[in-house]
Amino acid sequence: MGKAGVSNPFREDLVSRNLAEACSVVIFGATGDLTHRKLIPALYNLAVDGELPAGVRILGFARRDWTDEFFREGLEKLNKKVSRTGHDDEIWASLASNVEYHQSEFQDEEGYRSLAKRLDEIDRERGGKGNRLFYIASAPEYFDDILLNLKKAGLSQDRPDCDGCWSRVIVEKPFGTTLATAQHLNEVVNGTFQEKETYRIDHYLGKETAQNIMVLRFANAIFEPMWNKEHIDHVQITCAEHLGMEGGRGGYYDKAGALRDMVQNHLLQLLSLVAMEPPTDLSADGVRDEKVKVIRSLRQWDTPELVAENVIRGQYVAGNVNGDEVPGYREEDRVDPESETEAYVALRCMIDTWRWSGVPFYVRMGKRLPKKATEISIHFKETPSVLFNAMPGGVPAGNVLVMRIQPDEGISLMMNSKLPGTTLRMEPVKMDFHYASSFGKSSPEAYERLLLDAMAGDATLFARRDEVEEAWRFIDKIHNAWEEQGKEIPIAEFPAGSWGPREADELLAKDGRTWRRL
Amino acid sequence: MSAVISTEGLGMPVEVGAIDGQLKKLWEADEASTNASLMNFLVYTEDPSRLQKNSETIQALTREHACRAVLIAMDREASEAKIEAWITAHCHLAHGKKSICSEQISFLLHGKSLGRLRNTVFAHLNSDLPLVFWWQGELSDLFEERLYRLLNRLIFDSSTWSDPRTGFRRLIEAREDTKGQMVTQDLSWTRSYFYRLAVARLFDDPMAQKSFSTINKVRVKAQPEHRTGALLMAAWVIRRSGWKVVSRQGDQWQLKSKEGKEIALELLWDEEGAPIAELLIAAPDCAVRISREVGNHHLCQSIYAHDHCLDFSGPADSDQPEGLVASQLSRGGKNSLFLQVLPQFLELLESDD
Repeated sequence: MGKAGVSNPFREDLVSRNLAEACSVVIFGATGDLTHRKLIPALYNLAVDGELPAGVRILGFARRDWTDEFFREGLEKLNKKVSRTGHDDEIWASLASNVEYHQSEFQDEEGYRSLAKRLDEIDRERGGKGNRLFYIASAPEYFDDILLNLKKAGLSQDRPDCDGCWSRVIVEKPFGTTLATAQHLNEVVNGTFQEKETYRIDHYLGKETAQNIMVLRFANAIFEPMWNKEHIDHVQITCAEHLGMEGGRGGYYDKAGALRDMVQNHLLQLLSLVAMEPPTDLSADGVRDEKVKVIRSLRQWDTPELVAENVIRGQYVAGNVNGDEVPGYREEDRVDPESETEAYVALRCMIDTWRWSGVPFYVRMGKRLPKKATEISIHFKETPSVLFNAMPGGVPAGNVLVMRIQPDEGISLMMNSKLPGTTLRMEPVKMDFHYASSFGKSSPEAYERLLLDAMAGDATLFARRDEVEEAWRFIDKIHNAWEEQGKEIPIAEFPAGSWGPREADELLAKDGRTWRRL
Repeated sequence: MSAVISTEGLGMPVEVGAIDGQLKKLWEADEASTNASLMNFLVYTEDPSRLQKNSETIQALTREHACRAVLIAMDREASEAKIEAWITAHCHLAHGKKSICSEQISFLLHGKSLGRLRNTVFAHLNSDLPLVFWWQGELSDLFEERLYRLLNRLIFDSSTWSDPRTGFRRLIEAREDTKGQMVTQDLSWTRSYFYRLAVARLFDDPMAQKSFSTINKVRVKAQPEHRTGALLMAAWVIRRSGWKVVSRQGDQWQLKSKEGKEIALELLWDEEGAPIAELLIAAPDCAVRISREVGNHHLCQSIYAHDHCLDFSGPADSDQPEGLVASQLSRGGKNSLFLQVLPQFLELLESDD
């Protein structure tokens, strides 16, 4: 419960979630796409649902020479296009009257001093409550400057003149590009804000189905007893994207690659939710303590041999996606024609815990695959082949529980059923639950939930420092091995629009398994 | 002789004994659609002319709440006892792609027969799915123990009751009989949801919090037919504040805080205004006011303190019962806050003229 809840009797029992408190939200990188497409529409939709605390003020901080009016007009224009709930002029007007623009270079200390002055004025206008939420949505090269200047301007510290006030920071990904850079960034962040006031955002954790993983596992008695090496053969986590390097993304991506861009954060977060032990409670640290144990228990692929055996990296060559001819990765805009960056990666992960000993977690992520889909599949062991194996067709594969993260969020379970007829033949059948079919109401966008959580001081769905660093430790070793290998093992290729390189199929084939067909 | 009842939108007339078979045929004929259901949703009325309107309501509700809908209208004045039935499906495109359908069975029960409502309900439920029962109008003698024991959720609107005291007594008995298992949801309570949320938001303001102990006036303005809604909201304010009722004169109550401070509660009626038009909570140096203009879908939320003033718009609750039901179904839960407020509400209600 947030602090205001203690002294506000009307709050109690009204909402079954932590209380989001009024604050000034300062967005660094306010002229960017993330602010326009995600953050402001998220705040707007919270206002539409009556969830946005009274007196929230939004300050856009960026370098361009814009006016308040110009800033608001741009936000309104895009909100009309992308808002989940449509655009209500009256609610927008109410929100927009609390939006302003603060022009400054990120390196300019004076800009932060004037920001501090403006925030003090806002606090006075609002009646003294001086909560501040700083959202760093700028390009990552400015993270250090922003954080250090916030500290110099005294904006990150608790203020003795304001009892119970807080200053929090939300940091967008990428949170470092290696373990060393992540550790450096963590030093800077924690030198500026306390860890409990630091929110490292991973928007996958704000997705409805990602949150539903814990509900599925721990609120249904039938799954948890089977959630272990005795009953589960293996787990697959797939993140497929049909897009390539459109919109100038190649410049960033060619420096990062699939492993750093997606696996280090989103996919390892999903893996930890699937594999973690039941937390002692649902507090932020209760959940994150268990998640970090999973990441820490990942068997390290720390030699070129182990990496070659367990990790496949690939690039797409020219092909066809959704009927369109598309270029190969090295021909993409802003990509080095001799790039060795992986646009596809497949890993065999082993979690060395009592629960998961011997159960491989196969993780794959790729660009220019046939479709966009992020799914987790739990492949249960087959039944003892004593009863039905002599029947025509034998026994189909074991049960598969699928959690679809995006799009078409939902859960399905494959099970075997007898075909109608006088002979005993079996076929797999699918029990399917679609969020969209069952709950017509659209789910809140991940950023809505996460912004509200940050205002409420609930860090459960944000990555903690040790989680981030442990994930980088695992990823770095793979990268180091690739660098050591040099060009000895050529990067695998696959035609755009296919399901990845043959080598990735062989990764599973040598364990007697195949990738699930999505 | 009963009035002619429109049944055009209810779908295909069927024999009661053939309903299951006909529903199966309905789905077999349309392979492109998905039959989705999260609950059994029963809508009961003793006004047969509402059957058509209720079908339209289900058409709208099933956009967000896939269900097996069972509509039952009872024509208690009919001399001849008979049952008529219809089936149909309401389909919607989910995210512009897949056609998601909810099936609907409608019944028109003619004549008096105590067990027929119950038996009609029991015979046409989707097994295992929760049973949500929207009882429209007064809780009549047909609201009986063997029926309500099966309900997971009862939705009603106390603003439509001619005698709320009797209605609430029946309701409390039913809850006791079901050992609190049946969740009860009064649309008169739902109608003030965003008002309550707004009060909570405004009292997050430090000045409002500081002034809490000096509040000396509470005013609720509502349409006269929404008396129970106004009383429920007043009861919530009293309960959350820890105040006690000391005395009453007409629509003015004298309240006392734990610290012995006196507070005046006043209910005002405005036939032309919104169902709930205003809630004012005032202290000498700070006032919180939430108001709504008739026909407007937003609440004006304001806080006036000596050193600052905040004004903004927020969402308002639907004016239509179907909108309130949809909100209620979306929120789910045990509605425990309503139950906490109920004794205070009953105290205000019992002292009503």
